[in-house]
Amino acid sequence: MTAPLLQVTDLRTSFFTSRGEVQAVRGVSFELRPGEILGIVGESGSGKSVTCMSMLGLLKSSGRVVGGKALFEGRDLLALDDRELRELGGNDIGMIFQDPMTSLNPTLTVGEQVIETILRHRNISRAAARQRAIELFELVRIPSAAKRLRSYPHEFSGGMRQRVMIAIALSCDPKLLIADEPTTALDVTIQRQILALLKELQSRLGMAVILITHDLGVIAETADRVLVMYGGMVMEEAPVKALFAWPSHPYTRGLLASIPDLRDDTHHRLTPIPGSPPDMRRPPAGCPFAPRCPHAMAQCLAALPPVYEVEPAHGARCWLHHAEAPRVAGINQQVAA
Amino acid sequence: MTVYVVQRLALMLVTLFAIITLTFFLMHAVPGGPFVSEKMMAPEIQAALDAKYHLDDPIWLQYLNYLKSVAMFDLGPSFKYPGMSVNQIIAEGLPTTMQVGLLALICVVSLGVPLGIIAALNRNRWPDTLVMVIATFGVAVPSYVIATVALYIFALRLGWVPTFGIDDWRGYFLPVFALSGFWISFIARLARSSLLETLQQDYMITAKAKGLKPGQILFKHGLRNSLIPVVTVLGPVVANLLTGSFVIEQIFALPGIGRHFVLSITNRDYTTIMGITIFYAAILMLMIFIVDMIYLVLDPRIKYREAR
Repeated sequence: MTAPLLQVTDLRTSFFTSRGEVQAVRGVSFELRPGEILGIVGESGSGKSVTCMSMLGLLKSSGRVVGGKALFEGRDLLALDDRELRELGGNDIGMIFQDPMTSLNPTLTVGEQVIETILRHRNISRAAARQRAIELFELVRIPSAAKRLRSYPHEFSGGMRQRVMIAIALSCDPKLLIADEPTTALDVTIQRQILALLKELQSRLGMAVILITHDLGVIAETADRVLVMYGGMVMEEAPVKALFAWPSHPYTRGLLASIPDLRDDTHHRLTPIPGSPPDMRRPPAGCPFAPRCPHAMAQCLAALPPVYEVEPAHGARCWLHHAEAPRVAGINQQVAA
Repeated sequence: MTVYVVQRLALMLVTLFAIITLTFFLMHAVPGGPFVSEKMMAPEIQAALDAKYHLDDPIWLQYLNYLKSVAMFDLGPSFKYPGMSVNQIIAEGLPTTMQVGLLALICVVSLGVPLGIIAALNRNRWPDTLVMVIATFGVAVPSYVIATVALYIFALRLGWVPTFGIDDWRGYFLPVFALSGFWISFIARLARSSLLETLQQDYMITAKAKGLKPGQILFKHGLRNSLIPVVTVLGPVVANLLTGSFVIEQIFALPGIGRHFVLSITNRDYTTIMGITIFYAAILMLMIFIVDMIYLVLDPRIKYREAR
C-alpha cells in the first residue's frame, strides 16, 4: 500500500454570516492515493466544494476552517500560511472550476493566462513558457494551438474554454488535480469529451484527481473511488463498482433511484427524494438525512451514526448497519441477483 | 476602424447641428432680449440696436445666418460686452478654466481611484469606513458650501492661501479642492463598488488558485476589469471640469468661462449662450468618443463595426 498523497482528517469549515454560523463541512475524512481518481458526489450545499476550497485557502471571506487536518505529502495544508499555499496552488495542486465562461479573465488572452501560471512557478524565460503553453494546448487538443494563444476567452466555445482551464491546471505538472463540477456547465456531448480527456490525461500524467460532481453518471464513468456527501458529512465511501453494486446508505440509494434510465422505455416516473436538505445553521443532532429517509428510526434522529464497514474499503454512516437494526433489503441485506 | 471613426465624427456634427437648432429656438422663445434690462431706452435706440445686430430680421433668417457663421467657426459678437466677440470671450476665459479644471482632474484620478481601491481592499474595516464617510460627505455637500467653509478656514482664519484670484500657486488650492471634491468622492465610491464586484468574480478565484501573488491578482486581474465603469464616468467628468463651474468661479473671482454659462442666460446674450453651449457640447461629445476608444483597449470583447 503506497502512502496517501492527501490525507484529510475531521475537516470542519463554517461560514460566519450575519444570520449565524453555517456549518458547511462537519468532520470530513478521506484519503487519496497517488494516481487515483476520487469522486465526491452530493447535492448542492452538501459541502463537497467547500471541502476542497478549504484545503486551498480559497474560501470566501466569511468562511473559516474550524478544525481538522489535510496532509498533502505530509504537510498540513490547513496550517500553511498564504505564502506557502501560493507556492502549492497552480504548481503541485491544479484546480478546474464549474463555469469556464466566468472562471477565465475576459480581458486577458488565454495564452497569457496559461503563461503567467508557468512563469509564477517555473524559473524559465517567457519564450520557453510560451512554448510550454503551446504544448499544453496541444495536450488538451485545442486546434492550431500557437495561434489560439492570442485569442480571448469570449472567442472560444464553452468546451474549448474548459480545455484552456485544464491546460492552466496542468501547466506545472500537478500531483493533484481538483475538478469542481468540470462538466456541469457544458452541453452533454461536450461533457463526454471533457471527461474522456480528463481521464486520458490522468492516466498519461499519473496525477491524482478529485472530481466533484452531483452527477452519478460522471462518477460511474470516471472515478476509482467515491465519497457520497450529505449535510457536510461523508455518508458513504466505496470503490466505484461496490457503490453501484451495493449502495449501503439510503441516501445513495435515493440518488441512484433518481437517475433516469434511458434504456427503460416503460416511462415510469423517476423517484425523487422527498424533503429538502437540512439547515446547516442548526444541523440536526442525529443523522442529517434522517428527516428524508424512508427507513428512519427513532435512533436516527437521536444520535449521529458512526461509519460502519460493510465490506473492506466500503463504509456507510447509517444505523441500519448496527447489529440490532431491522433488515432492509438491499442496504443491510444482500438481495439475490 | 477608420470608417467607424469617420462615421462617429460625422454623427457628432449631426448631433451638434441638432443642439444648435434646439438651443437657438428655445432661447428665442424665452421672453425678453439682450437690451431690455437697459433703463429707459428710447425706441429709436432700441430699433437701431436691433437693426445693428439683425434682431429685427425674421427668426428663420437669423437662424440661417447664425448657422453660416458657425460653419466658419465664427460665434458672432457678444451683445453684452461691446467690442468683444464670443470667440474672444471663450479664448480669454479658457486658459484659467482649463488650468483649474486640469488640476482638478488630476486630483480626481489620482485620489479618487486609489481611495476607492483602498476602501474596497479593506472592506468593512476602518480605512473603508473612513473613506466612505468622507466620500459620502463630499457627494452630499454642495461645492459652494465646501468652497465658502474652506475659504473661511484656510484664507481668512489661517491665512495660508489668498481669498481670491490665482496670481500665485497658492491661489489654486481652494478652487481646485472645491471643484474636485465632489468628483473625487464620486469616483472613490464608484471605484470601490466596481472593484468589490470584480473581486467576487470567478476568475479572481482562478487567479488565486493559480498561486499568483496578491499584487498580480489585484493589478493584472482585478483593476483592469473594475476600471471600465470608472472610465465611462470620467468622460463626462472631464468635459464638466474643463468647462469650469459658475459657482467656483464666482466665489474665487476667477476670470474663467464657467460663469458665462449662467450670466449669458440672465443677460439674454444670445450669441454667448449659443457659443458656450456649442463649446460645451463639442467637448462633451469628444470626451465620450475618447472613452469609447479607451474601451477598445480595456475590454477586448468590445469591437466597433461601421454602420451600413
